[in-house]
Amino acid sequence: MRQKTRMRLIEYAITIWVVITLNFLLPRLIPGDPFLVLTSQSAEDEEIVLSEEQREFLFHYYGLDQPVYKQYFIYLGELFRGNMGFSVYYKQPVSHIVMHRLPWTVFMVLSSVILSTLIGTILGCFSAWRREKWVDKFLFLFMIFFSEIPSFLLGLILLFVFAAGLGLFPLAGAVTHFADFQSGWEKAWDVLHHAFLPIAALTISHLGGTYLLGRNSMTTVLEKDYLRTAWAKGLPKKRVIFRHALKNALLPIVTRVFLSLGSLVGGAILVENVFSYPGLGTLMRESVRVQDYPVIQGIFLVVTVCVLLANFLADVVYRKIDPRVGS
Amino acid sequence: MTAESTSLLLVNELSITYNGVSPPVKAVNNISLKLKKGENLGIIGESGCGKSTLALGIMGLIKNGSVKGNILYKDLNLVGLPDDKLRHYRWKEIAMMFQNSLDILNPVLTVEEQVGEPLRFHCHLTPQEIDERVVHTLEMVGLDPAWRTAYPHQLSGGMRQRVLLAMALICEPELLIVDEPTTALDAASKNDIFELLQNLQKQLNFAMILISHDVAFVSQLTSMLITMYCGQAVEYGRTSDVLKNPMHCYTRGLLNSSPQFFKYKDLWGISGEPPGEGAPLKGCPFAPRCCQSAEGCGKSRPQLRYVALERRVACHKGGIETFLKAEGIKKNYRVGEKSIEAVRGADLEIRSGEVVALVGESGSGKSTLAHILAGVLPADEGSVFFRGKKVENHWATKMIGGMQIIFQDPFSATSHRMQVLDVVKEPLEIMKWKSTAERNKAAGEALQAVRLPVTPEFLQRYCYSLSGGQRQRVAIARALITRPNLVIADEITSMLDPSNQANILRELKGLQNRFGFAMLYITHELHLARKVSDKVYVMHRGEIVEKGSSSVIFEKPEHFFTKQLFKEAFRSSG
Repeated sequence: MRQKTRMRLIEYAITIWVVITLNFLLPRLIPGDPFLVLTSQSAEDEEIVLSEEQREFLFHYYGLDQPVYKQYFIYLGELFRGNMGFSVYYKQPVSHIVMHRLPWTVFMVLSSVILSTLIGTILGCFSAWRREKWVDKFLFLFMIFFSEIPSFLLGLILLFVFAAGLGLFPLAGAVTHFADFQSGWEKAWDVLHHAFLPIAALTISHLGGTYLLGRNSMTTVLEKDYLRTAWAKGLPKKRVIFRHALKNALLPIVTRVFLSLGSLVGGAILVENVFSYPGLGTLMRESVRVQDYPVIQGIFLVVTVCVLLANFLADVVYRKIDPRVGS
Repeated sequence: MTAESTSLLLVNELSITYNGVSPPVKAVNNISLKLKKGENLGIIGESGCGKSTLALGIMGLIKNGSVKGNILYKDLNLVGLPDDKLRHYRWKEIAMMFQNSLDILNPVLTVEEQVGEPLRFHCHLTPQEIDERVVHTLEMVGLDPAWRTAYPHQLSGGMRQRVLLAMALICEPELLIVDEPTTALDAASKNDIFELLQNLQKQLNFAMILISHDVAFVSQLTSMLITMYCGQAVEYGRTSDVLKNPMHCYTRGLLNSSPQFFKYKDLWGISGEPPGEGAPLKGCPFAPRCCQSAEGCGKSRPQLRYVALERRVACHKGGIETFLKAEGIKKNYRVGEKSIEAVRGADLEIRSGEVVALVGESGSGKSTLAHILAGVLPADEGSVFFRGKKVENHWATKMIGGMQIIFQDPFSATSHRMQVLDVVKEPLEIMKWKSTAERNKAAGEALQAVRLPVTPEFLQRYCYSLSGGQRQRVAIARALITRPNLVIADEITSMLDPSNQANILRELKGLQNRFGFAMLYITHELHLARKVSDKVYVMHRGEIVEKGSSSVIFEKPEHFFTKQLFKEAFRSSG
């Protein structure tokens, strides 16, 4: 058992090392030069072309004139000390920028995971329970339809209809800038108001999968012999469904929730750009545009670690709820 | 205490049809049964005969199906009762020990939770009390209570069976339905479960419906027995009576397939398969596999009818037919001045599809009796009936589907001056049956059945050129060509070497199983008799001194002479 855990940890360590290495190599394989666009704050500004000496100074300053393997070791060492480098474009430490943006993305992703899982599971189980009835058929068609719309397109539609058209929600951003909030509650309400549409877009686009899985899983469980045993024992309906059936039906859903975190982050990046939401997604788009290697690397690293963390959590949680695993 | 006398469970004309498949399958067809408090009822039948569906029907657990008829539990009709009312009867009054399988217990809940939870909802006990009861019940079924924190996947098959039993008994139900309790259990665990059920019933006094294809297991625990075939009850009676004397061909087939009853006999299953799902069942469902089916059997479904006290059989023929009946047969031989009593008042009965062995020493009158039965010799006194009609003037041996005798000595039984083909089709020639071409065809088939060649050269060979084994086969083919319902085989293997003897006997028994004819097998070779017979008659000095089921006679002979005979015969073999 302990042996197994140790093996797991080693696996994770190796994965992180591979990710870091790829992270180091990838930007260096992209053609282009980070010092072409340096001092201007936006793309529209006039570009300042550096002189040869200035370029060499900066190359030396960032260690880019060193051989690649040396750069690699320096990179590893710095990373180990928590230094993800200094943004060429934002002129701030990368860790600072990423950590500043991360909570918004995490907030959005987690909210939509929780919402889509809850709603998807409940509707899926309900559908399974009413299998082949009209409720089930209607839900099934509806979910298939929505799960096929990409999240950013859904975001655009929501933005047009509810923000631009009906004016129910703000068009962009995560908070009202320069507002003077009377209380924490008021601020929280403002944040939720801004986050509602992006979270809704992500949730809806993710809902179909969870619903289908929930429906499928519940349908399978309802046919199992142990469920017949539970009915035979004369237990109340609630007990049979929630204790005997749902606990089994949840197993594949839990796995999926954690494993889907990665793809949700991908979706979040697109949705954030639609709503100009100040998370990692918008940050990434800007950084790619200006070829800000350190920031891109930082984002990749943080996202990967988050996904690995989610995997690890999935392992732990699964072990908790399914006694058959790991014994 | 009036409840003692009335029935606990009364199932009345219950039919269960599964509608989920097309065409709908009628898994249970018009079954009625009665169970008193503390009584045990066994239900036997092959897999897929509707036993488990009946059990689920009584529990009210039929999904995608319609239930017709009544299930009266303590005078309350459970059919059509809404689920939330029925719920209170499940487990508290009627519990079920399900067939053991990996999926029968919930994989994510502990043993304790699964065994104890009915108490919470039916008896409203506190968690503390539930735990005590669970520990107590697990101890009762012989499982260490420490296992209650385990999950089902951690248990062995035998332990899971005990958990299932503990779970079924936790609320101390009045009726316990036990479905296939011995599936996949080894002999030791099987015995454990057997003893547990027996002891616990004494302790808790529940009534029990025991469903199994393991006839031996069921018969030891129950007092009444139902045989089910294709969703229908085909035989109903006291367990001991049914075992001793099955009245339906299907029940007999099941018994013959059980190694526990016949320790020495070879196993012969029931030939053929049950009709497939959704097959049109107009006539008797067992007719295609039955050894005595006739034209009328395919026309309508037989109903369960009384054929004896406490015995009902669903058969158009009223159960297994008696083919041959001999009453008070006497025969004296005159040797000079002296009269020798060869047969002294023998009674004998052979039923359809049965192999009856007539054993005894040489000179005990076996062959004389056989010849009288076949009508070869006239009896001095007594009469022989074949299918209820007195045997006179060879009518019974002169017909298709009649009676045939195969003699001991193939060399004198088949004329050495005749060709094989002529010998075999001789009976048909005598009967003037159909055309020559058809007679030849029938002869070919009969020869093939006994595994002789049918090449023109062989057919034209003269019998004197055949070996003993071949000639005996020719004699058997000649008997089989009339498709007899009864074959009397008089010491047919005694003149053959062991290998030929084994081959002929196995083939004859195989043919018997395939065609379903009855056979009187006369022999002094007890080892052979023990291998093939269902019933045994022991003859000593012209008298039948003992008769009965071969499973009983060979195990526990009663008569002094039989004991002596067996002792000598089986001395070396133990």
